[in-house]
Amino acid sequence: MSNCNNCTTKYSDYFSDELYTWCTACGNYGIHAAVKRALVAENVAPKDTLLCFDVGCHGNGSDKIGGYAVHGLHGRIIAFASGAAMANQNIEVIAFGGDGGTLSEGIGHLVHAVRSNYNMTFILHNNRNYGLTTGQASTTTPQDTPMHASPDGVTATVINPVDFVLSLEPTFVARSFSGYVPHMTEVIRAGMRHTGFSFIEILQDCPTYNKATPHEWYMERVYDVTKDSHYDRFSLADARRVASISNDKIATGVLFQNLNKKDFLSKQLNRKAYTTQLVDEVQKSSVDEFTQAFR
Amino acid sequence: MKNTRLRLKIAGESGQGVNSVGELLAKACKRSGYFVFGYREYPSLIKGGYANYQIDIAAQSIQSSSKNVDIAVCLSRRSVHEVLDSIDEGGVLIHWVSNFHFSQEEEERIRDKAIHVEFIDVKKIITEHKGKKIMVNTFFIGLVWGMIKQDFSILEQAFKEEFGKRRDILDKNIELLSVGFEYQSNIDKQIQKIDILVPQESQKESLLLSGNQAIALGAIASGVRAYYAYPMTPASSILSYLSKTYHSTGILVKQAEDEITAAQMTLGSMHMGTRALVATSGGGFDLMTETLSLAMITEIPFVCVVAQRPGPATGVPTWTAAADLNLALYAGHGESSRCVLAASDVISAYTLTQHAFNIAERYQIPVILLTEKQIAESLFNCSSLPEPIEIERGLTKPDGITASDRFKLTETGVSPRWLPGQSDQTYNANSDEHVEHGKLTERADDVRAMMEKRMKKQTALLNEFPDPILYGEEEGDMLFVGWGSPKNTMVDVISYIQNGNSKKKISYLHYEYIYPLKAEWLLKLSQQFKKSVVVEQNYQSQFGKLVRMETGFEFNDRLLKYDGRPFFIEDILDYISE
Repeated sequence: MSNCNNCTTKYSDYFSDELYTWCTACGNYGIHAAVKRALVAENVAPKDTLLCFDVGCHGNGSDKIGGYAVHGLHGRIIAFASGAAMANQNIEVIAFGGDGGTLSEGIGHLVHAVRSNYNMTFILHNNRNYGLTTGQASTTTPQDTPMHASPDGVTATVINPVDFVLSLEPTFVARSFSGYVPHMTEVIRAGMRHTGFSFIEILQDCPTYNKATPHEWYMERVYDVTKDSHYDRFSLADARRVASISNDKIATGVLFQNLNKKDFLSKQLNRKAYTTQLVDEVQKSSVDEFTQAFR
Repeated sequence: MKNTRLRLKIAGESGQGVNSVGELLAKACKRSGYFVFGYREYPSLIKGGYANYQIDIAAQSIQSSSKNVDIAVCLSRRSVHEVLDSIDEGGVLIHWVSNFHFSQEEEERIRDKAIHVEFIDVKKIITEHKGKKIMVNTFFIGLVWGMIKQDFSILEQAFKEEFGKRRDILDKNIELLSVGFEYQSNIDKQIQKIDILVPQESQKESLLLSGNQAIALGAIASGVRAYYAYPMTPASSILSYLSKTYHSTGILVKQAEDEITAAQMTLGSMHMGTRALVATSGGGFDLMTETLSLAMITEIPFVCVVAQRPGPATGVPTWTAAADLNLALYAGHGESSRCVLAASDVISAYTLTQHAFNIAERYQIPVILLTEKQIAESLFNCSSLPEPIEIERGLTKPDGITASDRFKLTETGVSPRWLPGQSDQTYNANSDEHVEHGKLTERADDVRAMMEKRMKKQTALLNEFPDPILYGEEEGDMLFVGWGSPKNTMVDVISYIQNGNSKKKISYLHYEYIYPLKAEWLLKLSQQFKKSVVVEQNYQSQFGKLVRMETGFEFNDRLLKYDGRPFFIEDILDYISE
């Protein structure tokens, strides 16, 4: 199950009694499995985990997995999770959002989280449509595909999440596919280990509403670009070159990483001397040292 | 007001340093032993327009402004025209605008009101002393100080503290300060009033600060460790103060990309167990309302300061109003318990910020603390700030708890709360309706039980709310009832009346704890007065409507102001004498 020999955290620690409510063959099952594997492999106990879910099909899984969970509002989970991550860095904060909430309603949060480089992991469930509201087009739905509410197909251009995030000088960008659990697990582990904002796009099968690019379509195209010895994952140029999703092949793996840029909290000069977490510091404080200036 | 206050106005345009001059003079007056109140008016632009700073100076405590002034110093051409209307009988207008002409109408007013207009060729004086143009302000500061016959060394010290960083021009500035101070004009004999105001030794060490600074200090006192905000007048100076002091406090200060983010980050940080604050104005709060709703169902404590200004939309951004009570009461979709508090001055701003966190954490509900531009940006005098209030976090020790305790149905509706990381009994803070451990439910019984649980908290909270505060006697002619900044004017009015200036028996009942509404005493008291009047800074009498909705009680009359200006003492006195 995991390749961690001294782990005290077991896979079953992340089990939930609740029954899954997703469609048969939904990509979310694989993603949940990979997240659990990654947490176990990194030996993060449920007690020390905060899994933050946006609203959408993936969010309906918020109580189907162990650990502390938050099920937030549509599009807002990155903002919530970044505030949580900064308050207590000892807790592993992983946030999840769909292509709908993340790239439409909440796209501003994504942009500024990348810029700010909050130390957290974000997993984008990209199933290329609004599943829970019965298959409307999202920003990642291919143009001209007929969808609910756009029977003649969407006319707006498509956002490529990886390419978009790469344009924002990120520190960690990865891509994987929901049909390949071991690969997702390794990518998520790398994201968890990275200090800064880890952006992970999971290309996710939606058997009910995404007929254009089903499971098999992805299976025929995904490959791990980092297996190529010429690929430099510290090169933004390399990452941008392979970011596109063509009809022939789709690059996955840890596409880009910058180890030189500090995360947001580490950059705060006024917090340099602190070894404690914000959650440890709440106490009644005298304001005498400040009132003198008002005399 | 004429015999109890000396009222001073510095008028000019934005960018001329009107505010700095006003605050400096206010501080110097306070250090000389006077009670002061500083009121700022300015347009929403960086350079130009009409801005002014009014300082009321008295020999006893004051909390509000008089409508008119005794001395006006004008730094710009437009301000001479603008300020004229607010100069009282026998007052003085000083300016340095060459070739200035009043209209015929203005000339008549000057004559009728016996206003003394004095032109001083400050430009010439500055050139003679080889000063810079901006030193006009310095000259006028000195001039005013000389006119009101105060100790030069006090002014010099305050000036150095404020502007001393520019060492290269400090000597020249002090020189011009002194030139202004020594300047002999024929207006000096007009200013006799300061002689009747006796300074008090104890006043010299008192504090002079704005409502926003008091909120920031309240946050520091209550252990706030993160502040998230998006700039919006009149809340922005909380952000300024907390970032100016963050090297001392260690508070994480983050200017977020929008108000939605600021609110969500705050909620995220609160969920983990630190204390985080967010502040905004009405427009920003509009964007936060979905987060308020999330805080309600997830039962994560949340504190938001809403600094009100006139709306709708951009409205009159740099002026005052208290028209967002309805917003605070009804914001957010769905129904749940909430708490609405309203500050009125620096002491209440400081203490209510602390209470807000205790209430939010103990009841796991959102608390909205309302203030107004008039409170946020005015300078209030107080002898000192009270000691910080004991922190009450309402957290449960995680020993022996089980996950289903987190949203357990209890008598008060308040369930045990522990923090992520504290126990292997993990729970879900679920925006979907949920059962006791946080897992999703759509069952009718569960939905009903959870709704009732969350609504019950409000009843428990109401039971511990203090009664409103009464100023004046428990019976009389008129009982005014209000919330927010009108309190300051009412308190000044009552003290003015008690000094023998009216035979009317006036009292004022003040609400700091607005919602849930505690109305028993109001209903009882109102029977002891000939007339009950609700006084508010909005058009609809939003508080009056709340009282009627909750109790059926109807005030006899409403005294409402919604022109962006605060209640001046004269507004209330005129109403009383009608």
